This record gives sequence, structure tokens and C-alpha cells, in this order.
Amino acid sequence: MKTLIELTINGRKVESAVAPNQTLLQFLREDQGLTGSKHGCGLGDCGACTVILDNKPVNSCLVLAVQANGGEVLTIEGLAENGKLHPIQQAFVDKGSIQCGFCTPGMILSAKTLLDDNPRPTELEIRTAISGNLCRCTGYQKIVEAVQAAADAIEGTEVS
Amino acid sequence: MLLPKFDYHEPSTLEDALQLLHEMGGNAKLIAGGTDLLVRMKQKIDKPSHVISLARVPGLDEIVPRNGHAVSVGAAASADAISRHELLNDRFAPLALAASRLGSPLIRNRATIGGNLVNGRPAADLPPACMVLEATAKLKSSTAEREVSLNEFFRGPGETVIEPNELMVSIDIETPAAWSGGAYLKLGARKTLEISMVNVAVMLTLKSADGDIADARIAFGAVAPMPVRGFAAEDMLKGEKPSADLFARAGELSVGMCSPITDHRGTMEYRCMMIEVLTKRALGEAYERARAWKP
Amino acid sequence: MTQFNILGSRAPKLDAPAKATGRAVYVDDMTMPGMLTAAMVQSPIAHAKILNIDTSRALKLPGVKAVITAKEAGLVKYGVSPARYDETLFAHDKVRYVGDEVAAVAAVDPETALEAVELIKVDYEELPAVFDMFEAQKEGAPLIHDEFPGNINAEVHQEFGETEAALAECDLVVDHTFLNKRQDAAFIEPHTCIAVFDLNGKLTLYSSTQVPHYVMRTVAMVCRIPVGDVRVVKPAVGGGFGPKCEATPLEMSTVLLARETGKPVRMAYSREQVFLHSRARHQFYAEMSLGVKKDGTMVAVKNKAVLDGGAYTSFGIATVYYSGSLLGGPYNLSAMKYDGHRVYTNKPTCGAQRGHGGVAHRAAFEQLVDMTAEKLGIDPVEMRLKNIMTSGDMTINYLDMSSLGMKECVEAVRDKSGWADKKGKLPKGKGIGMACGFFVSGAGYPIYRSDTYHSTVVIKIGEDGGVVNVLTGSADVGQGSDTAMAMFAAETLGVPLESVRVVSGDTDLSVDLGAYSSRQTLMTGHATKEAAEQIRDKIVKHLAAEMDCDPSSITFRDGNVFFDGGPGDFEKIRTQYIKEHRGWTDPPGGDYLTFREAARLAYLKEGTLVSTGKYKPPPLGGTYKGAAVGTSPAYGCSAQIVEVSVDMETGEITVDDMTDAHDCGQAVNRTSIEGQMQGSLAMGLGECLFEEVKFDSRGRILNSSLGEYRIPTSLDMPNVKSIIVESDEPNGPYGAKEVGEGAIMPTIPAILNAIYDATGARINELPVSSERLFMAMKVRGKR
Repeated sequence: MKTLIELTINGRKVESAVAPNQTLLQFLREDQGLTGSKHGCGLGDCGACTVILDNKPVNSCLVLAVQANGGEVLTIEGLAENGKLHPIQQAFVDKGSIQCGFCTPGMILSAKTLLDDNPRPTELEIRTAISGNLCRCTGYQKIVEAVQAAADAIEGTEVS
Repeated sequence: MLLPKFDYHEPSTLEDALQLLHEMGGNAKLIAGGTDLLVRMKQKIDKPSHVISLARVPGLDEIVPRNGHAVSVGAAASADAISRHELLNDRFAPLALAASRLGSPLIRNRATIGGNLVNGRPAADLPPACMVLEATAKLKSSTAEREVSLNEFFRGPGETVIEPNELMVSIDIETPAAWSGGAYLKLGARKTLEISMVNVAVMLTLKSADGDIADARIAFGAVAPMPVRGFAAEDMLKGEKPSADLFARAGELSVGMCSPITDHRGTMEYRCMMIEVLTKRALGEAYERARAWKP
Repeated sequence: MTQFNILGSRAPKLDAPAKATGRAVYVDDMTMPGMLTAAMVQSPIAHAKILNIDTSRALKLPGVKAVITAKEAGLVKYGVSPARYDETLFAHDKVRYVGDEVAAVAAVDPETALEAVELIKVDYEELPAVFDMFEAQKEGAPLIHDEFPGNINAEVHQEFGETEAALAECDLVVDHTFLNKRQDAAFIEPHTCIAVFDLNGKLTLYSSTQVPHYVMRTVAMVCRIPVGDVRVVKPAVGGGFGPKCEATPLEMSTVLLARETGKPVRMAYSREQVFLHSRARHQFYAEMSLGVKKDGTMVAVKNKAVLDGGAYTSFGIATVYYSGSLLGGPYNLSAMKYDGHRVYTNKPTCGAQRGHGGVAHRAAFEQLVDMTAEKLGIDPVEMRLKNIMTSGDMTINYLDMSSLGMKECVEAVRDKSGWADKKGKLPKGKGIGMACGFFVSGAGYPIYRSDTYHSTVVIKIGEDGGVVNVLTGSADVGQGSDTAMAMFAAETLGVPLESVRVVSGDTDLSVDLGAYSSRQTLMTGHATKEAAEQIRDKIVKHLAAEMDCDPSSITFRDGNVFFDGGPGDFEKIRTQYIKEHRGWTDPPGGDYLTFREAARLAYLKEGTLVSTGKYKPPPLGGTYKGAAVGTSPAYGCSAQIVEVSVDMETGEITVDDMTDAHDCGQAVNRTSIEGQMQGSLAMGLGECLFEEVKFDSRGRILNSSLGEYRIPTSLDMPNVKSIIVESDEPNGPYGAKEVGEGAIMPTIPAILNAIYDATGARINELPVSSERLFMAMKVRGKR
């Protein structure tokens, strides 16, 4: 039997009926048309499904939609404001951190939570923050460089 | 991968949760973080007709210091919260360290200590840490309440003493004595996202900063059907003067406490040798932390 | 080096903003009204006769719209090489591995489809199975394909020069054996496709593929659809690396279900099914000998390969040839003998994966070079420098190294890594190792015998606005080929990159063999350049007529037009343009005529501006059997130096540092090239240290998940010092050639050589788990 859930997705209040066995990933992709979060493995091994739930990045394939009731979800679609890329997104574009792009939304969201928490992370802290997001294309280096550049950019705008 | 169908319940009090458990017994599974349960359900290993969520039960995720002499960790506290907690890092290091090594940052944001303990996987990260901290788990059912030492909690792969109608509410730990220090080491293939090939938790208590060993507790994961204590090594260490040599001997002794298997992650022979190395190193680390103990 | 305006820059990729915002569309992101979901029925047994398939219960399940087996699908044989078409879409008489496809269903939703799969009852009679490539060759082993006795799928025997005689003359001959394990490409996006027929019977297949062209042909052939009615479209793809280089049962069964139901049908592999499908890296056994003179000159190589191919052929013929042919370089040799066997086993089929058949044998050979250097007391870097080929050399097996910056690569990594200060001077437990490698820049011949162009490109310039549309069947799977083609077009036309739009991956647009054998930069690049040149010439022709000047006096740069290097008197053209755009608030201005105006003029003169470019390599290679495999118009090459730390008590290996130099001829996009280098090294590191597909005694995969099949995480992969070498390839567009696969060649041996340097243990079996190294050190310690 379906349950009515109410949550905030990318700043917007959403109300929907979901089946208990529907994951948050399925709900976002299939019910809400937010296909930016990806399905890579379904078992929490790859991180392609990463979304930010109540300020924490999680594998949305291992969260039931009903568990997100009353919560706040941020997906990759919620980052750019008024068509302007978030500094992390811009840094990923500028630094060549995106090849096939399948891991990208998850990487960006893991990075965002890190920088929100820790505006001047060390390289090890960056690598640890994204250690649950697998990438097969880039070897991670340009992703790390992008997060470093984004940290600088964010710091820069705040100071000025 | 699809989840099978089930009925979902979200009780808003502990009493309601216990009542549901009582009614459904073996047909129900509790879900806290879900990172173990949902994986097992997708793999068709578990097929509960009912899933009871603890999300709305208040207080289950709190980490509460008690009277300066102890801490009570809510069973639904996440591995992430545990790994970052100042008091736990300071006085209860093996637990905080083990929590920081569990899975990945994404998993740690959801995985709970209760889940990690109750699932009873032999290679789990948190059980050995809880064992060397002499933690006790508070288990409640709709009719009763009991406390079980984590050293008596595990029975076999996936098997613990918890009954189908019981819920783990909290894990309570007495503050270790002065001049105590702990460590947690894990061996896997990659640097993260690993299920242990071997893991070791240690708690050492010295008589004074430069004193002999007052107490030693060692526990191993992934080297037996359930996490085990290394009592023989512990007894050997007590009263002795700490040294690299002593720790090496304790490592050798520890091998005898374990009965690792050969599986596709590693052979028995290698695991035994790694028990020796990791125990020696964990003791060394715990010793350094013990010496650095501050009131 | 010539100065370019756009080539060699670090232009951000065209598709990056869409991917950064979640707007890029991958197949699984697409929905269509009435779309059904399909699921596959696969054998749970490794080798069995099919006695009966009962689909009746599945057909009765509400929501099931179609069920197909070999009966409905037919038995058209297919594969990759026409010489070895040994598969049918569905197994009909027997199944040959756990995962072999038996049937497929289409239903209204995923749950129903999966339930229907469970309801299909297949009666099997289990047959003895064989899982080991050596056991499979023995007398009495279960025969997997009746036509292939001894389970030998393919056999190669090649000799160049007189090898035994040459070896006999050598001062030293060193022997070596090597074994890797079957691997998986582990792209993060599982195979997915959607098939939909229009009401005129024309198919569009959207698929996560690297090769729309080959998929189109195979689908047309197997599903018996006129080839002109098959259109394959590749949306964004989440990685390929080889296994997505052939038509899959996923695609073909989805097509048949779409035809049967009259509805769009989608099917995706689960991660487990990706492992079962495989078509990834073979297991290779290598046995080789290197003969040298005492001054270190390489003379002769004897090379043997045994490949575990799994149940069918896939790319396997090419694979077993590559294991031999790719040892022809990059060192000068007087003689080479190669004997290769690819063996069938009852396991998922292996195919092509980054570096194809070259990776394992390159690893073995580069260890052999180090072993030989050590015996002679020669530094490993010096040993390479002494023997490497140079631009213009021909290998003993007729591979033409038209450009080869191998020496520059070796020297670059030697200097940048600080080799001289480290080699022999590091403490125990720390090591430094080096290796070289090279790879084709596009296979010299298409997979099917044909005179077809390998790449055609259409360029259409918008009738107004000067937008350059590059239309190409080529496949960008993340490596950045769309951006590269845009850069080629922009460079040739003298327009800014922002003026170029690329539409790609659609078989309706043009023929392109796709993203495999690292071919697109060179081949699609040539076709793009030619198309751009042609269309530039058209515009120039009309401008020259209008301006009454010599066409050769007209140049384009940065979107502006220069007449004899100056602005020229173009007032009339501009006035007409502005008159045509009365009311616009952004008329062209500036001192120079713009490309936009020039293109508009050309349109007004001749109509829509379209040009085509095309490329196929000249006949390449020798005349011996199998000479085609290994041929290429160009070869990229690579040298790497790796530093490792080994925990001597546990055997754990940490790769601390990697220095990589790759010769790509002429850098098109520097950032993308570095990305390919770093990605290749990460895959090589994973294959060396962690990756292995494991089977139980019944042929079932034990670790069909990304949790238990371990690819490097961000904490496992170090930073790479990437150095781009440019040798200016004469056969490449603007001198460009490959980077995507050449860069992985040296990685495994560089790590292995570093581990040897750190520990004295020479590991010749992958993956080098901590246990494997620990045990090897222990054994060594006992001697």
C-alpha cells in the first residue's frame, strides 16, 4: 500500500504517494523526473546515486523513499542557480574533471558537502570525502584539482 | 536491482516499535540506516514481509555522556556521527576509529552502530571495538529489558543473542581507566570501501604513563565465525613492561585464538600471519595513546 | 611545432556543462509513452543441453506483453569477426556459460518483467564443464563448440626472421612467464538500450554503445531488418573501455521485443549481468624469451600466448593476434616468433578491453627487459634507450612507426621522476620502476572485410549565423571526441570553438566505425578536417568572386576574414547583410568581415553549404597471415616511471607517484589528453593490484559487484605527473594520433618493476594482492 510522503527537493515542497519498496533513487528518477542521480550498481558500491539528504551525502539507492519523508533532498539539478553554475560545477567544467560524466553528479554533491563543512580541505580530506564515489575514467586527479579550485573560488567570493 | 514488496511501519515511540516487533516477530526486520538490510533484500537474502523503521523513534541516535564516567551511544547513531564525536575519539578511540573505517563516507552517513552489531557479520568493524571497550548493549522487548555484554553477544555468522522481538536501544560503555589508550586496525585490498580481511581492536591500560600494563583487551574480526577476544594474549600482557618485543609476542599468541578461513578474499595462512602483525601494531598504537592520556 | 589557434589548448569539453548539471541524457534517463521494460532469462548452469523451454506461465502473467526465445528470434549466427560468427542471440541446443541468454520478456514494468523471468521454465541436462584454459585443451575435455576440437578457438603462428638461430647467437637469453586474471571494464553505467519502431517499420535503437555502426549492421543482420531501416543512436554514454564495442544480446532482444509488441522497449543490465556479459579483458598466459647481446642490444623474442576466451569468440581473433603483433615494437628486433592459442571455456566471453591483447604481454615483456638489464648490469632506462625505435622505423612485423616519440617519452619520465637520484638509492620497501609501451591509432582494417571508409563526416554550415554543424557517426563515450572534432573544424575554418556544434553517435549522420582501437582522433579527425577544408574552399570561392580577388589571398582566423592579411573592402557584403537583418539589434561590426557574413554570402550564392570528408587508411602491413592485426596508420607510445612503497610486514602496496609521458603526435585538447593518461594509469593500477573476476567450481562468478570487484578509489590512486610529447605524426590530422590505449601499456609492468625494486620479489601473476606479494617475499626470504 502506498504512503504519502512530503519532502523538500531542491528547495521545492513535494508531496507524493510512494510504495514502501521504492528507493529514493527510483522516486527521484522515475516519479520526479530528476534523472541527474544515476543508477550504477544498486548496492551502495559506486556512489553514482549520491544525493544530499538532510545535509549528508548518501547512496540514494539504499534509502527508501518513505525514509526521506519530512526530509530535505538536494540533487545535482538543485545546484545551479538561475542557470549559473555552482562554483564546484564550474570548476569541474574548467579543470577537465568530466569524461563520461556518469560519476559526476555524485562527485559534485560529495564535494559540496565537504566544502560546506570544511572550506579549506587538504588533498587527503578531499580524497576521503569522495572515496565512496567510484570513477573509472579520470583517475580522480582532475576531480581533486577541481575541488581545490572550487574551494579557492568560494573562499574568494566570500572574502570579497 | 529491485526490492521485494513489504509493509512499512514507522512507529513514533519506542513502545510502539516494540509492540510491532512483538506482533510480527520473525516476519519483520528493523531498518535504521538500511545499508545492510536493503542490500540483503535486493540480493534476495532477506525477504521480510514487514519492515519497521526506527526513523521516528526519538533519542535512539543520541550519543550521551553520563556522569563523566560513561557514555551511552544510541543504537541508531550513525557511523559518521560516532567517528566525529569528540568524546568518543578521546576516551573510546577504538570505536571512533572503527566507525571511521566502515564502508565509505556515504555508507557511514546512514549505517548505524546497532545495525552493524545486530547483523553479526564476522568481518564487521564495530564489534571488536565494542568488545575491547567492554560495552554492554541494552535490549528491550515489549515485556522486558536486559543488558548483554558485547563480549557475549555474538554467536556465529549472522547470529547474535538478540531475539526477534527485541530491539537494541543503546550501547553503554564505562569510561576506561586513567592511562588507557586504544587502537583499531583493518586490512583490506583497497584503502576504503572494504570488508575486512582481518581487523583488530585493542584497549590497553597502563599503571602510569611509564608504567607496566595494568589491563589489556584485544578483539579480532574476520578471523573466526564471530568476532573473538584474544584472552591468552591479554593474560600474557597483564603486568608486563611494554615493549615492541612484548607486543610481537602478543601477536604470535593471538594467532592461536583465531580460526580464519580461506575464502576468495584471502587464505587462512595469510590471515593468521596478519593477525600477528596487526595485533602487534595495534598494541603499539594503543600504547602511544595510553601514554598520552590526559585527565 | 606549428602554432595553432585552437589545437593544443585546454578548451572545456562541449558536453561538460550538461554533465555537471545532470542534464546530459543517458539511455536510462529516457522515457517514451507506452514504454515496456524487458528482462533476460539466462542459464544458471555453465554447460548444459536445453531440453525444453516452457514460456506458458510467463505469457499468462498479467502485464507480460511478449516472450521470445530462439524459436521466435531465429538462429542467424553473429559475432564480431565474420570469420568466426559463433553465437546466436538465444541459446537453442545448449548453453555454454552461466549467463548464456535463453529468452527475453517484455512487460509493463520492471517487477512484472522480472517475475516473468522467474516463471519461464527451462529444462537443462547438465553437461560436464571446463573452466581452465589448459584443462580445456586436454584430451577428453568437454567440447564446447563441436566445430572446434580441443576447444581451440583460434591459433596463430607467426615468425619473422630466424628466431631459434638468432637466439642461439645471443650472449644471454632470459625466460619469463606471466599470468593475469580475467578482468571487467567496470564502467559505471551498465549497458542499457531502448528500441522503438515507427509505424513504417523503421527502427531506432538508442544504446549505450561505443560503436553505433557495428551495432546497426549486426542488428540488421540478426534481427533481419533491412539495413537502411536501422538507425542506432548513442546518447551520453557512461564509459565503454571495450565491452561496449559490439552488438549485445541486450540490444538485439530489445529490438525483437519492440517489433513484437509494437511498443518502445527498454532493457538494462544489472551490475551482475554486466559481469555475466563480460566481453572484457581475457586471461592471458605468457611465456617468452628475450635474447640479447652482452652490450644490451635486443636480438630476438620468442613469445607464446594462451588466452582464456570464455564461451564464444567476440573480438578474440584480434586479441590473440595482438598478443603477438604488439611485441614487434617499440624496440628494434632481428627476429620474433609468436605462437598463440585462444581457448574456449565455459565462462562468460572475453573481448576487447583498453589495450586489447597487448596489455598482458607488454607487462610480461617489460619485466623481461628489466630482468635482462639486471643480469647485464645495465640500468633499465638505458636498456630501453639503447633499443628503442624511432620515427620512420618499420617493425620486423611490418608495423610502420611513421612517428614515434619513444625516446623523448623515456627521457622525459627519467628526468621528471628523478630516476637517477632514486634508482638503487631507495630504502628497502621503497622502489622505482619503469616501462614502455605503444598502441595502434586505429586498426588498419575494419572488422568486416570491406572497402568502406572508416570515417565519413558531414559539415553543414547554418544558412544564417555562421554556425558550423559537424555531423558524425563517431562515438563520444567520455573521451572527448566530440570536442576534438569541434576543435579540428574550428581550427580549419578559423572560427572560435563556440561557433561549432557537433551532432554525433547517430548512424543516420555518417559512417564511422566508432570508438575502439583508439581511432577517432586520427580517423574521424581526418574526415572532419577534410570536410572543413572543403567547406572553407566553397566559402572562399564565393568570397573571391564577390571581392574580385584571388582565393589564395583569403584567410580565416578567430571568426574573421582577412584579405591579403588585411581587412579588405567588404562594405558591400556587410551592407547587404544588415539590410537582410533589419530590426536586429546586434549587427556585425568591427574592422573585419566576419565568418558569419561570409558564410551567409556563400549560402546566398549556392544554397545550403554542405561538405563531406572521408578517411580510410592506405593498405598497410605485410602479406603474412594475420598481418592486418596490429596495422595502423600511426602508433601512440608511452613511457612511465612508478614509485611504490611496500609494507614489508603485510605485503600491502601503495603507489606513491607516477610519471607518465605519452606521445600523441599533436595535442588536440591538452586537458583531455591528460585525462586519458590519468584514466589509463588508474585502470592499469587497478588491474595490477586489485582486479580479478573470480569463479566458483561451477562457473558462477563470486564477485559480480563493484564492492567485491575492486577498482581503485580516490584513496588508491596517486597524482600523476603527465607529460605530453608531440612527435608530429605525418599520417595524422595536424599531426595528431592516439592516447586512449597506448597510455595503459606501461602501467602494470612499471608497478611490477617498482615492486621488484622495493622487495626483490618478481611477481609474475596478477593481481598483486598484499597476500601474493607477502607470500612471494616470504618464499624469497627462505632462500
